[in-house]
Order: sequence, then structure tokens, then C-alpha cells
Amino acid sequence: MLEGFGPILRKDLRLELRSGESTVALVSLSVLILVVMVLAFGPGGARRAEIAAGALWIALIFAGTLGAAQALLAERESGCIRGLLLSPVEPATIYAAKLTVSMIFMAEAGFAVLIMLVLFFNLEFGGGLLRLVPIFALGMLGLAALCTLLATVSGRVRAGAMLLPVLVVPLFTPALIAGSKASAAVLAGQPLGAVTTWLKLLFAFDVLFVTAGYLLFEHVILED
Amino acid sequence: MAEIVLQAQRISKFFGDRPVLNAITFAVSAGEAAVVVGRNGVGKSTLIKTLCGLTRPSAGRLLLFGREPTDLAGVQFRRIGVLLHQTLLYPNLSARENLEFYSEIFGIEQPAAHARRWLGQVGLERAAEEPVSALSRGMEQRLAIARAMLADPDLILLDEPFAALDADGAALVAALIRQALARDAAVVFTAHAPLEIAGVELGLFKLESTGLTPFDEGRRGALRSLLRRL
Repeated sequence: MLEGFGPILRKDLRLELRSGESTVALVSLSVLILVVMVLAFGPGGARRAEIAAGALWIALIFAGTLGAAQALLAERESGCIRGLLLSPVEPATIYAAKLTVSMIFMAEAGFAVLIMLVLFFNLEFGGGLLRLVPIFALGMLGLAALCTLLATVSGRVRAGAMLLPVLVVPLFTPALIAGSKASAAVLAGQPLGAVTTWLKLLFAFDVLFVTAGYLLFEHVILED
Repeated sequence: MAEIVLQAQRISKFFGDRPVLNAITFAVSAGEAAVVVGRNGVGKSTLIKTLCGLTRPSAGRLLLFGREPTDLAGVQFRRIGVLLHQTLLYPNLSARENLEFYSEIFGIEQPAAHARRWLGQVGLERAAEEPVSALSRGMEQRLAIARAMLADPDLILLDEPFAALDADGAALVAALIRQALARDAAVVFTAHAPLEIAGVELGLFKLESTGLTPFDEGRRGALRSLLRRL
């Protein structure tokens, strides 16, 4: 069912290891956003957890959009997406591979942001950060699914990469609220059990957009 | 009777209001070869992209192996080899890595050995580890042709395969076309001027804004002096 998934994933990772373009851009952008947030709001204070959570999710959304765009738009710009479409690999498998690549790029940026977050906001390496992992993973999956699908659509027009955030941010808002609320709660010391409603919302968002991408990719990727 | 591999029935293609292909009717059976000749910008590349199912015709019906492209299971795309104007090669991967990657996604066993064999066939053994971005246009074209043909497809659609090639390269592509026909593949390719391939009976068609018309024998005879022989 997922024939071709492994080769596409390996090829994208090999290209990234060779050029490092996405990693450098994603990590730099994420750290920059975080620095701006720290300078704007200050690292201390009673609302430290909320500001840290907000900074984390703003960095995630912009880095994620860039990461997904890189994974798919580069393939489109070089024309190589046609090589994949003219192969026996099912379009849904191409989508799954691109989604996974986006997740990996986002995880890299996310890891860099988490480290910076700890340093800038004087957070402790401990339970609070570990509890952030499932929230972050669910958020990244939803964002990667949404970005991969929308990058396919925006790639059809000129300046598609610039259009992508305009399309992504409004649709990602429910998950953004859920993710930042849940993150703020766990960074403030609450257990994961206290944020199950937000986790369910993130999970539902993931199911919706992963399924939509899997089903729709074939129709939006083909040329008119 | 040979299987009809490709059948286009009054295919038209519009970009907005602008017609590019006009009611193209065309069929190719297994073991047959056809060349579509037309001036620059007449729609040869669009024709190839439409015939391989990459773009949808605005009107008309296309059948590949008796089915509409949208009804073809993914695995049947292994039966179609396509060379487009873009080479579909990854510039930051080496020539070998590109062919290995495409061999893998086409489900070819022992992709590394297969890629090496094809590099040999197109005379690129020495450039195997060079990134595609460092290859000359002619070498890239040879590699792109290897990519299109590496799964031994039953239908081969080539957009200007002789472009950018020197005499040796052109002879090599002609030999690959002969080999493909010998194993009963159908071959359709485009060119900007009429040409002949020694030992190959080519159906010769002219693409114009009014449609696709075959060269009749009389016109073909008159063209004889203009034909480029490979």
C-alpha cells in the first residue's frame, strides 16, 4: 500500500543532509521568533508559562509552514513532482512521504525551540517539558498535514510560498488555541490529565486533516 | 492483432480561452513508432503531457492500454516511460543516485545494479557520481532518457529526445528506440523537424493549430531531402 514511501523519504532526507537548506532556515526562523518574543514580553513574571507557550506555538506555526513548503514546493519547482506522478507510486503515498518529511523538519525546529525556550524562560528540564512532547507531536502532525495539503494547492500559483501562511494560519487556529492552552497548562505544572479536552481537540484536528490530505492530494496535485 | 496502446479521440486542450491542441485523433499500437513534428510553441510538449495523463484534456477522450488514465492503477504507470522538456532529475543527487531512486520507485529489483547498467547504456559510467547540476545539457538529456526507459515500458512518450544531443547521443537514442520497438513497445516522440531512423518505420505526423495530420506518402516523398537521418 505504501510502496515507494521509503525511497521518497530517504531521497528527501539525503537531499536535506546534503544542502541543509531547510534545517538552517527553520531553526534560524524559530530562534529568531523566540528572541523577538522574549525581548517583547520579557522572560520572567507571573505569566511566564503562557508567554513561553505562545512563543513556542508561534515559532512552530511559521517554521512548520516553511518546512512543509520546502518539502513540496522544491519538488514542484524542479519539476520532479512530475517524475513521481508518472511513477507507479500512488499519490496518497507521495502525500504520506511528504507529510513525514515535513514532520521531521518541524521536529528539528521544535527541538531547537524547546532548548531555547528553557534557556530564555528559565524553565526546568523536567516533567513539564516531557509533558509538552505529546502536545507538541499532535500539533506538529496536524500542522504538517494541513501545510502539505495547502502547499500542493498554493504551489499551483505564482508566489505560492508567500500565499501558504495566509491559507494555513486561519485554518490552524483551532489547533493553535488548543495547543497553546495545553502547553501553558503543563508548563505551569499541571498534569496531562488536566488538558485532555485540548488534546482531544488536537487529535480530532489531526484525524480531519490527515484524512483530507490523504484523500484529496491526488486531485489537487494533478495539473489542469 | 497488436494491442492498441494509446488512443486519443478528438482531444483538445485549452489554457484559459487559448486553444493549444485541437481535436487530436491518434492511435499507436504495440511495436509501432510515430513522430509528431511541429514548430516551436505549437503544443508538442502539451501533447506529450496530455498523452501520458499528466494533464487532463479539456475535451475528448484518451485511452492508455484501453483505459482512461484516471482508471489506471498506479502499478500500470510502470508500463509508461515519459521524457518531458524538464528532465525530472534531482540536481543535487548524482546521476547514479537519480537512476537508483527511480528504479526503486518503479519497483525494479536490484536498483543499484539496474542503475549501473543503464548508466553504461547511455555512456555515463564516468559521470556516475557527478551531481546532475554539474552535467552538461547533453549528458543530462542522456540521463533523462535512461530515466524514462529504465523500467522497459510498453509505451514510450518522448518530448524532443534528440534535443541537445551530439551525433553520438542522437545515434544512441535512435538505438534505444529500435531496441524498444524490437520488444514490441510503442514509441511516440516529438521533433521540430522531420526525421527518419534507419531500420524503423516511423509514422510521421504534423501538429498544427488546426490539429494533427499525417504526412501522406506524396508529401513525405517531397520531404525526403529535408529529412534528418539517424
